[in-house]
Amino acid sequence: MAYSNKVLDHYNHPRNVGSMDKSDPNVGTGMVGAPECGDVMKLQVKVNPATGIIEEAKFKTFGCGSAIASSSLATEWLHGKTVDEALAIKNTDIVNELSLPPVKIHCSVLAEDAIKAAIADYKKKTAQNADAVAAN
Amino acid sequence: MSGYFELLGLPPALTLDAAELQRLFYERSRQWHPDRFARKPEEERQRALDLSSRLNDAYRTLRDPVQRAQYVLAQEGLDAGPQRSADVPPELLEEVFELNMALEELRGGDISVRPQLEAARASFLGMLAAAEARLPELFAAWDAARRRETLAEIRGVLDRRKYIQNLVNEVEKELSAAA
Repeated sequence: MAYSNKVLDHYNHPRNVGSMDKSDPNVGTGMVGAPECGDVMKLQVKVNPATGIIEEAKFKTFGCGSAIASSSLATEWLHGKTVDEALAIKNTDIVNELSLPPVKIHCSVLAEDAIKAAIADYKKKTAQNADAVAAN
Repeated sequence: MSGYFELLGLPPALTLDAAELQRLFYERSRQWHPDRFARKPEEERQRALDLSSRLNDAYRTLRDPVQRAQYVLAQEGLDAGPQRSADVPPELLEEVFELNMALEELRGGDISVRPQLEAARASFLGMLAAAEARLPELFAAWDAARRRETLAEIRGVLDRRKYIQNLVNEVEKELSAAA
């Protein structure tokens, strides 16, 4: 299958591959998987608690070129965004940017799900910390 | 065109007696064997041929519990549609991620991960067996009450089974490639 140049670029030079400390209270971790192809994607965001801005985003994806490119692009976009702006990223934005063919749209859905899962994890941690502070 | 159960003269139930299925299949196969229609008009010969071939499809599909369930799900409009990421058992994700990390290391030539991969394979095979063990009970529930929720549950078990099977295949492929 022919990949677009943008997909190839992200595939050959993936941005922000790696992982951050899951137990860091400012780090949100999203882990998602695609049942059909067995792809699995881990995406993490590190949020500055004072500004609510995502200062770092990392990913590790096991899957096809489009899944890797989708998550690589997602981490690029997340950098510098607020948590709410991050939640506004839609899979269709990724499809358009990478010119993904219809059979690869599920890869972009996976990336969107991973962003949402990472942010949800961060929010859960923040809420728990707030509770802990309130309890003290 | 009649369905597989009718073709074999069975009630359309997920719980099925394998011996009875085989008996009916043989009986009807004899009845519609193309040799018995060799001297008949073309139209009848063709009909016997079509029926024989459909009987074979029906038998092959119904004798396997997973294929049988998939057939009934499709008949009821619950085919394996596009699956969403939410369908992956969440408790499995960590394990799958770790598995992929180990597979990557193995591909990179690090054979020290072999025992970890063999343990993973055993664990996934156990999950596969556990998923399959739930089917008879769900089949009986569907036969008794014909509730959509039961079918959805069966769909879930089959999806999970397929997902785990893919993982097992992947591990086995890499283990034999690295052997």
